[in-house]
Amino acid sequence: MAMAEQARTVGKAPVTVRPSLIRELIDIADYIAHVRKEIAALRANELTRDRLPMAHEELGSVVEATAGATNSIMTAAEEILGLPDDKNYRAAVEARMNDIFEACTFQDITGQRISKVSESLRQLEGRLSRFASAVKAKDEGGVDPTEVERRVRAELLLLNGPQIKGPATAQDEIDALFS
Amino acid sequence: MALDLGMPILVVDDYQTMVRIIRNLLKQLGFEEVDDASDGTAALARLKNRKYGLVISDWNMEPMTGYELLRHVRADEALRTTPFIMVTAESKTENVIAAKKAGVNNYIVKPFNAATLKSKIEAVCGA
Repeated sequence: MAMAEQARTVGKAPVTVRPSLIRELIDIADYIAHVRKEIAALRANELTRDRLPMAHEELGSVVEATAGATNSIMTAAEEILGLPDDKNYRAAVEARMNDIFEACTFQDITGQRISKVSESLRQLEGRLSRFASAVKAKDEGGVDPTEVERRVRAELLLLNGPQIKGPATAQDEIDALFS
Repeated sequence: MALDLGMPILVVDDYQTMVRIIRNLLKQLGFEEVDDASDGTAALARLKNRKYGLVISDWNMEPMTGYELLRHVRADEALRTTPFIMVTAESKTENVIAAKKAGVNNYIVKPFNAATLKSKIEAVCGA
């Protein structure tokens, strides 16, 4: 009703406006408010400030880790090929094999990093999908209860995944906590 | 006290590559009795059926995490004294402290090598 009053008193002198026009203007104003709300729900600043840079950083770490692991494995293989055929051969080969096993742990860590990126993409997809749907059908926004439950569980169980640029706490520091 | 190389060890990790790596490292150290499980739920089922001398578990698994498995083990009268080593990429200090409070015996950050694994097993199993 407030908008209808405003519409009637626009300008210096009161004018006669058709009620159907007022109704239409109110609908347009409501629609604009709705779209603004949905644009806010996209949280575009959070995406560009936090999620997308994190995804770039994680993928960069994956590339770095896979390159490092490949290099370690290749080095071990080359050293095995260059070993002299003597009584120490088996022990020397086993030592290089252990280096290869250690290098192969990259697969676990990179898998977790990629999962974090996938999760960000899933978030982005969800927000865009909701926005598109809202603009066309004027759907109400809302919080996905499944997502809330997942986040609460992750926070409670400290499921944060591997840290950027290596472990947050070094093995030596952890050992000190157990000594 | 020497390590009991015949003791059964349960390795819990959802990454088969990691299970294979730990199995191989344990074999290098002389342990032959190694079982595995892909998450906490499967591990608990195994723990109910066999007495293990050591559990080596990842943290980040679904549906039951290594942290939840640890809490279940420590809450179970029959399992509570089972040595438990967490092997994980979760290395934030608060995570380590949470695991320690829950009763973990030692904690290894990935990636790790055979020497680190050996020293932790010795520390936990009393070599």
